[in-house]
Amino acid sequence: MTGIRRAMIVLRAFWQLNWLEELQYRGNFIASLLGTVFWLLMAMLTVALYFRHTPRLGGWEYWDVVVLLGIFNALAGVVETVLRPGIGHLPTDVRSGALDLVLVRPVDAQFYVSFRRLDVWRLADVVLGLALSGYAFAQSGRTVSAWALIAFAVTFAVAIAVVYAIWVTLMSLAFWFVAVENMSALFDAVFEAARYPVSAYPGALRFLFVYLIPIAWTTTIPASALTGRLNPSLALWAMGVGIVALGASRLLWRVALKRYTSAGG
Amino acid sequence: MSRVATRSAFATFRDQYAELMRSAFLIDLQYRASIAIWLLWGITEPIISLGIWWSIAAGGAVDGYTREDFARYFFGVALVNQATLSWDAWNIDRWIREGEMNFRLTRPIAPIHEAIADNIAYKAPTAVIILTAWIGAATFWPAVRIPFEPGRWALAIIAIVLAAAVRAAEYLWFPYVLSFPVEVLTGTVTTGGQYARGFGGQAIWLAIWLLLYLLVWTRGRRRYGAVGG
Repeated sequence: MTGIRRAMIVLRAFWQLNWLEELQYRGNFIASLLGTVFWLLMAMLTVALYFRHTPRLGGWEYWDVVVLLGIFNALAGVVETVLRPGIGHLPTDVRSGALDLVLVRPVDAQFYVSFRRLDVWRLADVVLGLALSGYAFAQSGRTVSAWALIAFAVTFAVAIAVVYAIWVTLMSLAFWFVAVENMSALFDAVFEAARYPVSAYPGALRFLFVYLIPIAWTTTIPASALTGRLNPSLALWAMGVGIVALGASRLLWRVALKRYTSAGG
Repeated sequence: MSRVATRSAFATFRDQYAELMRSAFLIDLQYRASIAIWLLWGITEPIISLGIWWSIAAGGAVDGYTREDFARYFFGVALVNQATLSWDAWNIDRWIREGEMNFRLTRPIAPIHEAIADNIAYKAPTAVIILTAWIGAATFWPAVRIPFEPGRWALAIIAIVLAAAVRAAEYLWFPYVLSFPVEVLTGTVTTGGQYARGFGGQAIWLAIWLLLYLLVWTRGRRRYGAVGG
């Protein structure tokens, strides 16, 4: 219990530090907000273009796909706020040897690397994304149920865990290959696939996104929970996937860290 | 006598180019993991788009495009996109900002040729990889076979090379740097008028950007002050 309490105290300190740093760059906030709004409009236009040619995308109506798009944007916000500035910085720290300074601290290295640096303004993307989901949900004419909301909260947490696990896995490769900064560009390209329900893809791609690169669990499942497509057993499966992903990435991190020999790998 | 002089100048230029390409290729070889990741990155987007359009076209052709047309089109996009990628703006920005332009300016060959050699060293091998994958896919997936017309392929290669040159200069000429080469490759462009419009557009944009490059380069070189612009 004391371990968790200590972690909370450290997290709070990180949070306050990052706010203090970021308050100097308020211009950034406006710029990133405008960028996100522009991106959301473009994404909705693309979906509208698809729906000119088809009444459903993988069995989903227009507003349901927009609900999913909002969730995608919220998750992208989590990536920009926590993952890219934090664990995404790992390859640079490995190459320069800056990780030395992390390893001598009396906190878990993975915890420190993951949460020390935050891009707090990008939290606005999470808010905007969820707001878009709420709006689209209202437009779809569905009524909200307590079960749907709980299932959404749980599966959204699973989604964050899965995305985090993918980033830890990709960035841990730096311990072997050193120059893997463009891994984050590769993640962005693959994660784009999560903009649409996984049922919209042909069989081979669907298999890939469900089992090999588990991005289907990040947006399709929470959106299914909101739009009444999720049965309880799948929600349990999702929790299992989240736990396995976190556990596997933690294991990989520990194996990878053993290879660390200061600057240059 | 002047004939001999021109020939040897050309030979020197050719040898310099070969050397630039060799060293660019060796650098890429050193960072092969990174190159492989960029290659994957480049084909991911066409694959995702193809997946979505493949599903949408399940009910029938979309504006005349059938599923097979989409498959061929996006395979073409994967090839043309990686051949017309452009990262030169970032390189030149770094050369100027960090003073790396200095030693390049003392060389007897203009820095643009290093950029071009660098492009060829990356794009030729990766194009071969994508083409091999395409041929492999076509053996068991008839949808992505394109008509066997070596003449058309030659034209497509010219269109791709011109597209790469225009793309390196700027980004705003979409039909000429992506869809035109792909359409030549997949056989959508057929009439003489379509060819004339496509190649004409490419030639005009290329000429405009070449002129602008020469103008900006000569002016900019005079302004250059070793580090930080």
